[in-house]
Amino acid sequence: METFLNRYRNLTVLLVALLAQLVLLAYQVRSHGDVRLIRVWAVTGVMPLARVLEGVRSNTFGFFREYFVLLDVRTENERLKKELGTLKMENQFLKTELATADRAQALAAFQSRSPSRTLAARIIGTGTGANSKVVFLDRGSNFGVGKGMAVVTPDGIVGKVIASYPTASQVILITDPSFAAGVISQKNRIHGTLKGQGHSICMIDYIQNEENVAVSEWFYTSGDDRVFPKGLPVGQVKISRQGKMFFKEVLLVPSGLQQGLEEVLIVLEGVHQDIPEVPQTQQPLHLLPAPPRDPASGEAHGVLSGNLSTDADQMLDRYKRIGETQGHTYGVAGPKPPNFNVTPEPPKPPRAEPAKP
Amino acid sequence: MPSKLIPTDYREDAPVKNFLRDDTKFASSKIAFFQYLTVAIFLFLVSGFWQLQVQNPDYYLDRAARNRIRSQPIQAPRGKILDRDGRVIVDSHSSFSLSLARVNLKPEHLKSICEGLDIDYPDLVERLRRFDRTRARYESIIVKDELTAGEIAFVEAHRGQDTFPEMELIHAQRRLYPRGGLAAHVIGYTGEVSEQELNTTEFARFRQGDVIGKAGIERQHNDTLMGVDGQRRVIVDNVGRVRKVIDKKEASSGRSLTLTIDLDLQVVAELAMENRRGAVVAFDPRTGEVLAMVSRPAYDPNKFAGRIRSKDWMEIRNHPENPLLNRSIQAQLAPGSTFKPFIAMAALAAGVADPSVTFHCGGGASFYGRYFRCHSAKGHGSVDLHKGMIHSCDVYFYNLGNRLSIDKIAEWAELAGFGKRTGIDLPGEAEGIVPSTRWKVRNFRQKWYAGETISVAIGQGALTVTPLQMAHAVGGLIMGGVWHKPHLVRDPSHAGEPKRSDLDASHVARVLDGLYGVVNEGGTAARSRIPGIEFCGKTGTAQPVSRELQLSGKLGDKAKDNAWFFGFAPKQDPEIVVVALYEAGEHGPEAAPIVRDVIKAYFDKKARTAPPPVMAAIPMREEVAQGAQ
Repeated sequence: METFLNRYRNLTVLLVALLAQLVLLAYQVRSHGDVRLIRVWAVTGVMPLARVLEGVRSNTFGFFREYFVLLDVRTENERLKKELGTLKMENQFLKTELATADRAQALAAFQSRSPSRTLAARIIGTGTGANSKVVFLDRGSNFGVGKGMAVVTPDGIVGKVIASYPTASQVILITDPSFAAGVISQKNRIHGTLKGQGHSICMIDYIQNEENVAVSEWFYTSGDDRVFPKGLPVGQVKISRQGKMFFKEVLLVPSGLQQGLEEVLIVLEGVHQDIPEVPQTQQPLHLLPAPPRDPASGEAHGVLSGNLSTDADQMLDRYKRIGETQGHTYGVAGPKPPNFNVTPEPPKPPRAEPAKP
Repeated sequence: MPSKLIPTDYREDAPVKNFLRDDTKFASSKIAFFQYLTVAIFLFLVSGFWQLQVQNPDYYLDRAARNRIRSQPIQAPRGKILDRDGRVIVDSHSSFSLSLARVNLKPEHLKSICEGLDIDYPDLVERLRRFDRTRARYESIIVKDELTAGEIAFVEAHRGQDTFPEMELIHAQRRLYPRGGLAAHVIGYTGEVSEQELNTTEFARFRQGDVIGKAGIERQHNDTLMGVDGQRRVIVDNVGRVRKVIDKKEASSGRSLTLTIDLDLQVVAELAMENRRGAVVAFDPRTGEVLAMVSRPAYDPNKFAGRIRSKDWMEIRNHPENPLLNRSIQAQLAPGSTFKPFIAMAALAAGVADPSVTFHCGGGASFYGRYFRCHSAKGHGSVDLHKGMIHSCDVYFYNLGNRLSIDKIAEWAELAGFGKRTGIDLPGEAEGIVPSTRWKVRNFRQKWYAGETISVAIGQGALTVTPLQMAHAVGGLIMGGVWHKPHLVRDPSHAGEPKRSDLDASHVARVLDGLYGVVNEGGTAARSRIPGIEFCGKTGTAQPVSRELQLSGKLGDKAKDNAWFFGFAPKQDPEIVVVALYEAGEHGPEAAPIVRDVIKAYFDKKARTAPPPVMAAIPMREEVAQGAQ
């Protein structure tokens, strides 16, 4: 047997290699995995090394940074000792400020107050696509990370997980051209779809030209996409103008990517939150009541409103209110015919529900 | 070692010896060369494989995806439909639908898609199964229309190749109709051209998938309202996402159409007909412009704006009251007493209704061996033309009819426009029936009996009219014999030349006096008087079936008498005629308040839109006048 194998060694090796490939292919098909095994192994194999290298890099840079900072501090302290004692206090204040602004602390603070269950992760690599904006995180399926999970920072949303490996995961950033998410404006609660464009500015699509979106207005996640929980900040509007066809051209600066990306949170279980109200920045302006409406021009003309109604609908509402105002039932004989030139009473607001105990 | 193997006889044979030694070396070196070459090739392939599959998979995937050019049509918005004052009745709006590309469809995705978009999962599976049986694999299926902003966000967020690549967003121009079926029968609705329609000459020039007008004005003026679609060529990736627009030809929208409809009157007429079955037509007798046209029950044209759901279609089609029927132009019913003014005109012209002629009404009268009842069981006593009109005395008009022949009545009815289409610019108008001896022979091969004329004289029997025909006929009569063609588009070319007939002015005046008395002299519509307005009219109560069938109760509500009323104002130089048909209204006066409200709305609007009185000319001071010179 041994002689036989030695004699046909090359053929045997080829057959064993083919058999192994067949077995692996069969395993991949059986396991329904949509990620190639070679990729899983490669990522699993490379990630420990990448993590070590990243650790070495960050520690080395950290060491030198600390060294020079300490050197600076020592020099500064020596100088300060020679100079005014008040400057010592200022230096201490600045140090405290730096410590407060520490990203990790902010992340932890956000994590603790967010109702969603999140997992902190570090970015350990970036993708190489021409336009793609993809990063790798150091947490994967071993930590419960799954495909389609949202990735955020305290400043705003960052992206979503598109592939999860045992020890790492791949995240598509919101600036990627194939990224989309449901968003809602803070002021007028207008729904739209956030889309990446391959650069640092995102666009918001499907907002009707008739809608009002102001520059600097904040957008939040709407929860419509079933990826991001409602109420997370997305960014501020940079440009808002009329579009050529039906939809506004709204460009937005994503807030989650402005401070650079090192640590992020993966949303393992999202909880929807309310959209925060617009803060009152100014004293309310005193306005006179509106002048009485001319009955002849009571009906609106022309522009299609955002709630999709025609002038005919508005006319119907107006004449219904005229009838209600005079207690007139249309088409039924009454003591006197209605006067259609009266100003109808404004529509009654819906009655508030009684508070439940 | 090899030398031992070489036979002695050949030891001195150098060429052979060398050949044998060189061959072995040659073979081993060749094998080694090929082994190294194989390893090198393999390493090259592995490195390529590594680069493709591990190092840069997204980059190459991205590049591979950018190689498809697709031509996308840009649907042109249809023109707006406006009322006579330029107010929008029908508009268009941008809309999105979700389709599933069945080529890429993975059944395990369906549940999540249904969950994300609130679609009934078993229903979708069933629809897909049916679709699979009849359609080619490459055809996509539309699973939801009118997506909300949130649903669009869901589709956009998940239609990447990582999640549900089978989802496709389709942008369309959707018609926006008034809510609640307001003016539904006038406007009509749009829809995709069907295969049957493509085989007709009217729609042969359209292509599969084109959206056309299917009913009402949308159909009648489809060419005006329909725009010209544009097109853009785009590069799309493998999931259909547009990567780049190569070129674009913009769509040009359809032209707007201004109707003669006055929304103020239309809305009042709609409100007056709420929860009723019937029709209202308001008509300007001076021009033929239709100011309002209502048919109830109505349907919601917005349901047709996309693809009507089969459930909605079945509901509309199987509705017992047939909401698709435009009763204004398609309901052919006996007019009842509203026909009496035309009998009066015929009788005056024939000299059988002289003012001095009176008939006694004791609650009924016998003609040709049959007793015909009056609507007033106790009778009206001695009745002349004026009284007969005011109180709508049946016995008086039985006698007039008896003195006139059926052919004389038919002649006058046809003169007024009954028994033929008015020619309004709407599809599907009905003709109605004006019975005559010739009509009976032609349709039943029977002779006309004089007793049948008695019923026709009070607007019963075989006589049927549509509400629009009644409005048109009354309009011509009160204008002294000038019948303008009813039309809905505010364009003089649609009006055409009016039909004229020299009616005796004194006869017209006598009929108008009677119609004035109906409302203002304690007649059958006295409760619908409008102070300050010379409102005239005539009530009518028409039996839809025989008295025996009515009493049997088999037909329920449908057997009840129909209430008719036509009114116009002012008495001199009338400006508006309104006809109301209230099916199962039982008594003619029940329809009068409907007309009253519309007429009141007309004059109230006229008062508020009247231009301010012109100021008296102020005499110019002499020096100013000189300076001006």
